[in-house]
Amino acid sequence: MSDRLKTVFCGIEFKNPVITASGTFGYGLEYAKHIDISKLGGISVKGISLRETLGNPMPRIMETTSGMLNAIGLQNVGVYKFINEKLPELRKHDTKIIVNFWGKTIDEYVEVARILDDADVDMLEMNISCPNIKEGGIAFGTDPKMTYEVTYNVKKALKNKPLMVKLSPNVTNIRVYAKACEQAGADAISAINTLLGMSVNIHTKKPHLYNVTGGLSGPAIKPVAIRMVHEAFRTVKIPIMGIGGIMDWRDVVEFGLVGASAVQVGTANFIDPEIPLKIIDDLDKYMIDNNISNFSELTGTVDLSR
Amino acid sequence: MKGKVVKNQQLNDKYFFLEIKSEEFVTQAHVGQFVMIKPGSQNYTHDPLLRRPLGIADVKDGKFSLVYMVVGKGTKLLSEFHENGMIEFSAPLGNRFTLLENKRVALVAGGIGIAPVYWLAKTLKNRGCVVDLYYGGRTVDDVVLLEELKENTDHLIVTTDDGSAGIKGYVTLPFKENVETYDMVYTCGPKPMLRTVSEICINADIPVEVSLDERMACGLGACLGCIIYVKEGDEIVQKRCCVEGPVFDGATIAWDKLI
Repeated sequence: MSDRLKTVFCGIEFKNPVITASGTFGYGLEYAKHIDISKLGGISVKGISLRETLGNPMPRIMETTSGMLNAIGLQNVGVYKFINEKLPELRKHDTKIIVNFWGKTIDEYVEVARILDDADVDMLEMNISCPNIKEGGIAFGTDPKMTYEVTYNVKKALKNKPLMVKLSPNVTNIRVYAKACEQAGADAISAINTLLGMSVNIHTKKPHLYNVTGGLSGPAIKPVAIRMVHEAFRTVKIPIMGIGGIMDWRDVVEFGLVGASAVQVGTANFIDPEIPLKIIDDLDKYMIDNNISNFSELTGTVDLSR
Repeated sequence: MKGKVVKNQQLNDKYFFLEIKSEEFVTQAHVGQFVMIKPGSQNYTHDPLLRRPLGIADVKDGKFSLVYMVVGKGTKLLSEFHENGMIEFSAPLGNRFTLLENKRVALVAGGIGIAPVYWLAKTLKNRGCVVDLYYGGRTVDDVVLLEELKENTDHLIVTTDDGSAGIKGYVTLPFKENVETYDMVYTCGPKPMLRTVSEICINADIPVEVSLDERMACGLGACLGCIIYVKEGDEIVQKRCCVEGPVFDGATIAWDKLI
């Protein structure tokens, strides 16, 4: 693959700007059986917490029009098991590792971040936006003061690794949150997490998900994500990783135009594990055809003139 | 993977039989596995979005077959695939049934649960087993492929809830009468039936393998949408139906957490 896809984000050189999104790619190893994961720009692993978390009762997923709802509940093996059992295997593949993490309190966020800061990972992605658990996650992502406070404390605790904060779309004005992250010292933001949604079985009159509500993802949310990345880009100077319903190279270009320096592919991985690899190949062709020597040339170049 | 639709035959008001040509798929497939299949031309549309998990119902001559019931948008679109059209699907996924040789086995299937049982019956018969199939449905429309099944079993016992085909009543009743005569039992169908079959087997001390059917997004072990609960010693642990299953030891399933 060509040099033109190389993307520097927070000082880290990714092979290409296509990263697989947290919660849709397990610990990477599940997919290593099906595709060559070393071709990916990077992998953002399933949200890690201090202790093992079992997640929500079933049913946890429901397909909706051009999207899906999930209420997995941040199930994960915990930070120590991740570092000891998953990471060494994942490190055998030549790709960047971003660790998505969360906590129930600021202290817990800081503790997990400290542990990961000393581990063999490339970057941290702080999840303050999971809509599916009561404590932690969303409580920090929908109050700008809390966003600032948790970001400030985690950033202060980190010595080695860049910190990216994953923003919630379940807010009235995402600019405020992007600004709070930047002011608190975040190195980057990723946007967006899932949109809070709900669906009901009209025959049983029960919600499809045990958790009642869940996070909406997939192509259905892309216009919301594009708008929010656009707004964030015009508010902050730190780089943005665009996420939300990416299915092909066109979507990646669109995220680039509104301000993304790199992107994450999420729900598409469920549909076909080959999709991120196809996106990388197709993006390379697009860049050759349009004489673009680096993805950064696209970033934020949307033409707003009328 | 991609393959050509050889046959997409309507069996009755509800059921379809889909046959797809793919040497690549067939050489990898094992009895008990499933496939995630794309229910439409998603190159042009993202609705429906996800692939559908379907048990592999048969494999022969470079082709594999699926039996499915039209229940929603995805399966409706699947039913509209024409012969010779190209269809996309995953590699064969999940674990497999334990295949015995020269033993007496019972297969208990309910409704659409016949899909993986069909291939299993054929395979066990070829391995010298005496194969009895207990096959239940709500009505005559829920029991399909009876001729083919008769050819590949020693005894085919059909039941329906309303008596419109075979014996009237639940399939678990005639099975229970004979359970002691088998070396091994395999079952697939609705969860209450699977539970009853498992309990009958546990009481009779006969090993039982259960094939579970859960809603899935990926089928690869990543989405964690298909969690089931299994007893390990004194503990109840989570398993992913897609990678640690779909076939489980029926004696270990924590049914109360599943139904």
